Amino acid sequence: MHHSNVYAVASKDIVFESFDGEAVVLDLSNGKYFGFSDSGSAVWQALSSGVSMQALTGMVDAAALEAFVARLVEFGLLAPSDAPPQPLPDNLPAALAAAKEPLNVSIHDDLADLIIVDPIHEVEEPLGWPAVKQAS
Amino acid sequence: MKLSVIMPVYNREVLVGAALRSLLRQRDAAELDIIVVDDGSTDGSADVVRSMIDENPCIRLFQQENTGVTRARNRGLSLLKPETELVSFLDSDDISPAGRFAADVALFRNDPDLELTYSKMMLVDAIDEQSLEPAAGANSVIARGIHLSAAIFSRRLVERIGGFDEDFAQAEDTDYLLRGFEIGPRYVLPDTLALYYRRHSGNMTRQQDVQAREFMRVIHKSIKRRRANPSLKPIEGIFELEKLSDWRLM
Repeated sequence: MHHSNVYAVASKDIVFESFDGEAVVLDLSNGKYFGFSDSGSAVWQALSSGVSMQALTGMVDAAALEAFVARLVEFGLLAPSDAPPQPLPDNLPAALAAAKEPLNVSIHDDLADLIIVDPIHEVEEPLGWPAVKQAS
Repeated sequence: MKLSVIMPVYNREVLVGAALRSLLRQRDAAELDIIVVDDGSTDGSADVVRSMIDENPCIRLFQQENTGVTRARNRGLSLLKPETELVSFLDSDDISPAGRFAADVALFRNDPDLELTYSKMMLVDAIDEQSLEPAAGANSVIARGIHLSAAIFSRRLVERIGGFDEDFAQAEDTDYLLRGFEIGPRYVLPDTLALYYRRHSGNMTRQQDVQAREFMRVIHKSIKRRRANPSLKPIEGIFELEKLSDWRLM
């Protein structure tokens, strides 16, 4: 059992972006899309950049945070990390204070075909859309 | 039926002539109206187009300051004539296969309620510039991919979809197609080969950083739209992309 309370993005297949503060995570290995509530987006942003769970104490409900992180790990988005914790982003307390929705992540897989054969796979290889990464 | 084909062009003087010839050879398939929007080319692209207009008055050339492909496509949509019944697109570096429009326009003739045909495309790495067909020995793969040229839209559907989302610098075409399918048009998926999609060093989609983020935003927007409006249709059983996974092995 790992006790560091620091997490990292679980694999290179997990890519994420933020649009107007809303986190979007794709698993390129299976085409799943993960959508986040407002508080979930803020917590994802923190944890995926190496902020420890402890640093979020007092800003979100502890039990809800435990359950949320457990889901992210179960979905293969985050994995425990040995890296030293990163500082809390300056904007995070305000983002969490302003959040109106509980911590939540939802899965959508109806665009999986597109996501698996998408241009995101190509970032390291000068080949161009729409080749896909071959299974290794 | 009057078919307008919108072609944005930016600095493609070497290729735009072939793209236009591939349309002109299909003049008997429909009453063709080719709308070329020159998006501020600094090479001879506009001259190439202009040199073809005398013999081919169905080509209309419009020039504008460079504003990017999304606005150029919207300019094309704004230039549709009232009598235009069908709308399609061809990029200035691609080729429309002989017979492509004859095959799918016939489907509209036979079904007045049809709003969209969405056919197949071939990715190919060499085109014979005389025949405008894949060159002997070319590598190619056929799929029902994600490309505007796979589609012929009824005028009514074009009005229903609205314009291209100018928030997108790239992937505006994917966004447009998803929005088109989400509103539940009457569509068919013919096996027509609707496009030879050239692979060459200048493909804009090779600007990867922007493309990846823009693509994620397209997916995000589609899911948000459908979450907010349950009457929108899921995007299922339309794209057949798995064959494209072989492409990299060639």
